[in-house]
Amino acid sequence: MTMTFDMKEIVNGVIKGKIDEVKALAEQALSEGISPEEISSQGLVVGMDAVGERWKNDEMFMPEVLRSAKAMSSGMDVIRDQLAEKDNQVGTMVIGTVEGDLHDIGKDLAAMMFEGAGYKVVNLGVDQPSEVFIEAVKEHRPQLLGISALLTTTMPRMGDIINELKEAGIREQVTVIIGGAPVTDDFSESIGADIYAPNARSGVERAREFFKKKSAESGSN
Amino acid sequence: MNQSINRTPRFRVLSDDQIERIYFAALDVLERAGAMVFQEDALELFRQSDAVVDTNNRVRVPASMVEQAIKFYPRKITLQGRDGVRSLHIQKDSASFGTGSDLPFCYDRKTGERRRTTLADIRDAARLCDVLPNIDFFMSHGIASDAPLPETYDRHQFLSMLEGCTKPMVVTSVDGEGLEDLWRMACVVQGGEDEFRLNPLFVAYIEPISPLKNDRTAVEKLLFAAEKGIPAMYTPCPSAGATAPSTIAGMLVQSLAETLLAVVLCHLKKPGMPLIMGGVTTVLDMRKSTYSYGAPELSLASAANTDISKWLNLLMFSTGGCTDAKIVDEQAAAEMTTSLFYASLSGASLIHDVGYIDSGTNASLEALVLNDEIIGMCRQFCKGINTEKEYLALDLIDEQGPGGEYFTTDHTYEHWREWFLPKLQDRSDWETWVANGSKSMTDRVNERTQHLLDTHETEPIPEDLHKAIKEIVDAADARHAG
Repeated sequence: MTMTFDMKEIVNGVIKGKIDEVKALAEQALSEGISPEEISSQGLVVGMDAVGERWKNDEMFMPEVLRSAKAMSSGMDVIRDQLAEKDNQVGTMVIGTVEGDLHDIGKDLAAMMFEGAGYKVVNLGVDQPSEVFIEAVKEHRPQLLGISALLTTTMPRMGDIINELKEAGIREQVTVIIGGAPVTDDFSESIGADIYAPNARSGVERAREFFKKKSAESGSN
Repeated sequence: MNQSINRTPRFRVLSDDQIERIYFAALDVLERAGAMVFQEDALELFRQSDAVVDTNNRVRVPASMVEQAIKFYPRKITLQGRDGVRSLHIQKDSASFGTGSDLPFCYDRKTGERRRTTLADIRDAARLCDVLPNIDFFMSHGIASDAPLPETYDRHQFLSMLEGCTKPMVVTSVDGEGLEDLWRMACVVQGGEDEFRLNPLFVAYIEPISPLKNDRTAVEKLLFAAEKGIPAMYTPCPSAGATAPSTIAGMLVQSLAETLLAVVLCHLKKPGMPLIMGGVTTVLDMRKSTYSYGAPELSLASAANTDISKWLNLLMFSTGGCTDAKIVDEQAAAEMTTSLFYASLSGASLIHDVGYIDSGTNASLEALVLNDEIIGMCRQFCKGINTEKEYLALDLIDEQGPGGEYFTTDHTYEHWREWFLPKLQDRSDWETWVANGSKSMTDRVNERTQHLLDTHETEPIPEDLHKAIKEIVDAADARHAG
């Protein structure tokens, strides 16, 4: 078998949001002996980075970006198990909306964006009590816990969950990212969250910056 | 299935009965007060008709002459820019937008000062209108102060307009001779007199003097346009309380009488010329004695005039996107938006004076850029609502069900681009806005204006045509020199 596979096809497939095509291409690449790391870093991620850039410049818009995210995710699904087996480098995210709050579009949008960034996302749904968040963190051991609230009345629940993470002794193993229309940086800080995402685009960006900074800090120590 | 569907919103300010009253009153004005005409050829045409001409150049016209003449005008005129595209369809309920003409001053964006308009300013305005997608036709915006002779400034101005903009135009001229030169210049571009008649490049803007006076130059232009089949508009500019009754109905009666006199005169000269009805109908501000371009009465009276024009089967040259504000500020945005929305909704054929500031004396390029966005919103509104099956989305609603989402559906992917996509309005969240420099609308308008001026180059006029056009300009200067 010759190595004729062109990684650009995966990149373009992601940019154009070809969900089935990207899945097939990832399978083909694997069968041609290309490593899952390469498929991810040279193909899927390159495509999604281009999408993010175009989105920022108003050259692509939400419906197209979400298609690309789905395409990226369909490619990731093909290689995820093999990647995970090797060094567990792919992130998992648990995300949900707090108890008493039935709003889910913002939270779902964030979930889709993180899937597009390569994360495996466990979506808990809406109106979830703290215990469900805590149990999910214990079970899935995610890198990221996303908590959403749209109402000023349900916002304090996000702080409750963080406190319960501490009580359960698992606060340090997860990075908490919060979002929702009434949330601000100040509020995020006051409840001890790690990242605040003011919109769907910035969530992935801010998480990436956070982890970069964190690994730089631990590297310098 | 036989059903009635509104694809565009409907907006009317006058009922048929009210229009009839105004029209009959205007016919009465022409029989009683009549109008002054200061041009001998026109007076002779009236003398040879059933009209009555007295020794003071006053012409009174029987209603029957108006009723006959009014049936002869086209209900559609299509203009073709020098880009060769028949892009401007002048017809009812199909609004097209453009600048106004001949503003003596312009706002200098480098100094923030008001100064005299130059040919270079007119070229800049033309270039901007060439690239702004919601500007459909170009009028000079400014009046050139640096042409060699006052008698021929219009030729130089038109050349600058042509150099800067490839879209159809509305032109002003000094007198009949001026219009003839502009027409010859345009015929060079369109490929001759016959081609111009089928694919006119411009409409000639002509105005009477309210109340009920028609000066020599205006009438010369009108007669020349009638003779050559040049589209023309006769646009009364009455100010309520000063040159017209202070009541809107009274102003509309007088304005219509002024228009109808031109309707009869053009018919006597040559039946069927492409004549457009006009009217910049507004109030004189009784505190500041200025002719208001931002008054709500301007919008109301203009919409009424459009109702009348449609009832008469005439095309309407209306007004919008203008302001009394001295700079492009909150007042400007409020006034420009108001007049543009109502002019659009009324279904006028052409909407001009987009970008006028300082009560029709000062030209702002920033105002053009801001208006381009506002017109985009008006156009979106006037598209109305599609209620066909695909658009009711019943299957989709059922598929997604309670608690579903529409972000990722094919239906959204296929239809969301039908929405208006703003270029200047900021819809970002607070954090993103701060991260991008906390810019105001004014900041963004200024940036886009400068960016377009720095980057847009208009397709040049082919060299041989430019030479032929320039010869007409030079010949006019030579005739009038010394």
